[in-house]
Amino acid sequence: MTPADLLTQADRLLNTVIPGTQGCWPRACAWLIRLALEETLDQYWANVLPEAASCPMRAQLLLLPAYADIGTAQRAREAWTGLARAAHHHAYDLAPTAAELRTWHTLVSQLTIELT
Amino acid sequence: MSTATVEQLILERLSSAQLPDPVDNLVVASLLGDDDLAAALSSDGQSRASSQPGSDAVNEPVATYLRAVTVEGFRGVGPQVTLRLDPGPGLTLVAGRNGSGKSSFAEAAELALTGDNKRWSGRTVIWRAGWRNLHTSGDSRIAVGLAADGQRGVTSVVREWPHDAALESGTAFAQVPGGPRQPVETLGWAVPLELYRPFLSYSELGTLVAGRPSEMYDALQAILGLDQLIDAERRLNDARKKFDESSKKARQALPDLLEQLSAYPEYPADPDDRARRAEAALRRRTPDLDAIEALAVGDQRSDDGMPDRLQRVTSLTLPGSDAVAEAVQLLLTAERKVAGLAGTPAADARRLASLLTTALNHYADHPGEPCPVCAGRPLDGSWASRARIEVTRLADAARDADTAHEAVRAASRTLRTMVPAEPAALAGDLGGKADATVARDLWQRWAKLAADGSNQRLCAEASQVIAGLASAVDQVRADAARALQQRSEAWQPVAAALAGWAELARASQHAGTMLAHLKSALTWLKAAGRDIRNARLAPFAEMSARVWETLRQESNVELGPIRLEGSATQRRVSLDVTVDGVKGAALSVMSQGELHALALALFLPRATASDSPFRFLVIDDPVQSMDPSKVDGLAHLLAQVAADRQVIVFTHDDRLPEALRRLQLPATVWEVVRRERSIVELRRNDDPVHRYLDDARALARTTELPEDARAVVVAGFCRSALEAACHETVRARRIAAGTRHAEVEQALARAQTLHQVVALALFDDASRGDQVAARLRGRFGPHAVNAFRAAKTGTHTTYAGDLTGFVEDTARLAAGLRQ
Repeated sequence: MTPADLLTQADRLLNTVIPGTQGCWPRACAWLIRLALEETLDQYWANVLPEAASCPMRAQLLLLPAYADIGTAQRAREAWTGLARAAHHHAYDLAPTAAELRTWHTLVSQLTIELT
Repeated sequence: MSTATVEQLILERLSSAQLPDPVDNLVVASLLGDDDLAAALSSDGQSRASSQPGSDAVNEPVATYLRAVTVEGFRGVGPQVTLRLDPGPGLTLVAGRNGSGKSSFAEAAELALTGDNKRWSGRTVIWRAGWRNLHTSGDSRIAVGLAADGQRGVTSVVREWPHDAALESGTAFAQVPGGPRQPVETLGWAVPLELYRPFLSYSELGTLVAGRPSEMYDALQAILGLDQLIDAERRLNDARKKFDESSKKARQALPDLLEQLSAYPEYPADPDDRARRAEAALRRRTPDLDAIEALAVGDQRSDDGMPDRLQRVTSLTLPGSDAVAEAVQLLLTAERKVAGLAGTPAADARRLASLLTTALNHYADHPGEPCPVCAGRPLDGSWASRARIEVTRLADAARDADTAHEAVRAASRTLRTMVPAEPAALAGDLGGKADATVARDLWQRWAKLAADGSNQRLCAEASQVIAGLASAVDQVRADAARALQQRSEAWQPVAAALAGWAELARASQHAGTMLAHLKSALTWLKAAGRDIRNARLAPFAEMSARVWETLRQESNVELGPIRLEGSATQRRVSLDVTVDGVKGAALSVMSQGELHALALALFLPRATASDSPFRFLVIDDPVQSMDPSKVDGLAHLLAQVAADRQVIVFTHDDRLPEALRRLQLPATVWEVVRRERSIVELRRNDDPVHRYLDDARALARTTELPEDARAVVVAGFCRSALEAACHETVRARRIAAGTRHAEVEQALARAQTLHQVVALALFDDASRGDQVAARLRGRFGPHAVNAFRAAKTGTHTTYAGDLTGFVEDTARLAAGLRQ
């Protein structure tokens, strides 16, 4: 699935009630957005710096400002920080809120445009 | 709590206190009410208060549990959603992120029942304006379903608002099973809700301890059923203030009165010296009120007789000039008549008649003999008949003369006594204003004339003298009347002031007596109240101490006995807080979490009082700002309370549910999530591992999602299930081994990859990730390794295998890891 496809599905989870997703849609949504971000970066590095794609995400995010716009890099970092936390079972955290998911969705949507 | 009312306790003590009657009476009256106290204070204080305090019928409270909270279009909740609760003792957690709408349920429950909400009343207009859910265009409605112990069916309390109504203009009703809709007040819960407050919100947690000391004092007083005591004390105190003021009034008004008296003129305007005597009476150490009142009453009591004299002078009357002229005329006429008798004096006529009568008698014996007087011719029959005629004529003439003389005497007497004797009043002092000298001279001249003057002189002078006298008396009379009036005019305001002050002084005297009684009554009541209060408080304080002991965990703060201290504006709850063994430490040294724990320690005894009809407690987010060790204490505490109460706790994170799971304390956990447009979803989440696996199963079957997307999210849930299982295992093991909560959490937070997390669970060592696969294969078989790998990579690269098999492999692995 392309990042755009993933984001479309994430958006569906976020604003429509899909049978079978009741209550669990927030985390599902987070994983889809997170994957969209990972795919976006993978595609970006494939064109810019193929070696980077196999690096851990932390390293990729540190590299990014050297290649992309500084604002873009900040957005990527912000989205990742939130999504990484939301996508794991984390000590005492409950599922992310719709507002948080919407923010990340917007950030990643923007990144898919900026990083092509 | 003890069953005797405060009133009964006080009356009991009173009967053995042997207070003086008036004091005893005031204490009883103060318990009865304002009117009774007023009556007791206005009387002499001896008579016993008429009505005896009655005891209110105490209804056995019906245990009431929450069954459901339904919310629609209110706060964070859009379309209708219902939180269903098991109506009985037990612990229910509702977990949801801030903004998930969870607090909307707590608020709805409180608002529906109380009609107000603690958060509401204190909040800003902006907040109040935002009570309606933004994503609702229809009506708003909140409803609470309640189940009463031993009764079938559900009692509903509903508040609803048409789509355009303001917060205040909603409608509310209650409906008992099988009954019609009725006003919420008919449930009779207004007072218990206020007394026992089964709702505790996060914002209240902060203010319960940090708020004004008097507020907590009042809240505790109310719960202890001491309102009556407070009211009685307040009544006595108000009365004391009033009587204190009133007892000083006479003394305060005295200087003005003395000044007024000193300005009052000396003799002769005040010949009886009333002003000076009043001053003397006032200046005594205890003013002679009888004397002052006597002086104030007026002139009648003064003893110099001057007002009497003046009064008498003003009532003097003299004959008018017409009357005098008539009397003079009468006398003159009588005199003229006497003069007209000329030469026939009555005596001569009578003597001659007597002589002839004697001669006739002689003739009768010696008829025809010569006259013995003149020895002349003989006395014959013709002589005798002439003589008889003459005797009759002479007797008539004598009578006429007598009458004329008598008339003169009468007329003369009348004229001479026309003017009364000079009254003694004229001779006395007439206050220097009226001069009676001229009148008195004339009066003496007249007296002399009337006594000694001949009738002739009298007739000539009477009119003139009497007229002169009359005009002189008129003058004196007018002067006397004026003096009399001036005298009373000058004194009148002074008399009024004296009378007013005397009244004030009597009131002050009464107030002074009552004040002493009031002080005694107040002192006695305060002492009695202190005993009763502390006796009542003891069980509450004890429970607070227990709660704190459970909650404090690693805290270095110790909570000593709780006491109610001070009164009026100084009233406060005294919390004996010891930090690191140092006594009297301020609450400010306590952390926010400790303060919240303390607030809970104060809230719980009140909300779980046995007299409360509410068997449920709703606590909104007590966990916020508590450190993990205190959360364990809280979990224990809530479980204890839940043994015989329905405890509903709203919480914004997973700490409390986690602690309950780890400590294996029974609880029902609901998870709240809110979609965009305020669609709120509630579902059970008692066990996160099962929850994740159930979600994974559900999503694996969701054909609505493209297969690729399904694979991603299923892998995500499988990984979360494994993480959750590992976290649980690690926490349970390490905390049981005595590791501090914070260190456990650090270790878990550092383990970021699934390898590290599973290594921590398997080996208690996150760095042994490279050995995980081998160990899993050895312990759980190849499927376990496959599931582990798929969970790890599936969220990055689409898992291509059978999703349902993947989920079940994961479930087996998770179960194995948890053992």
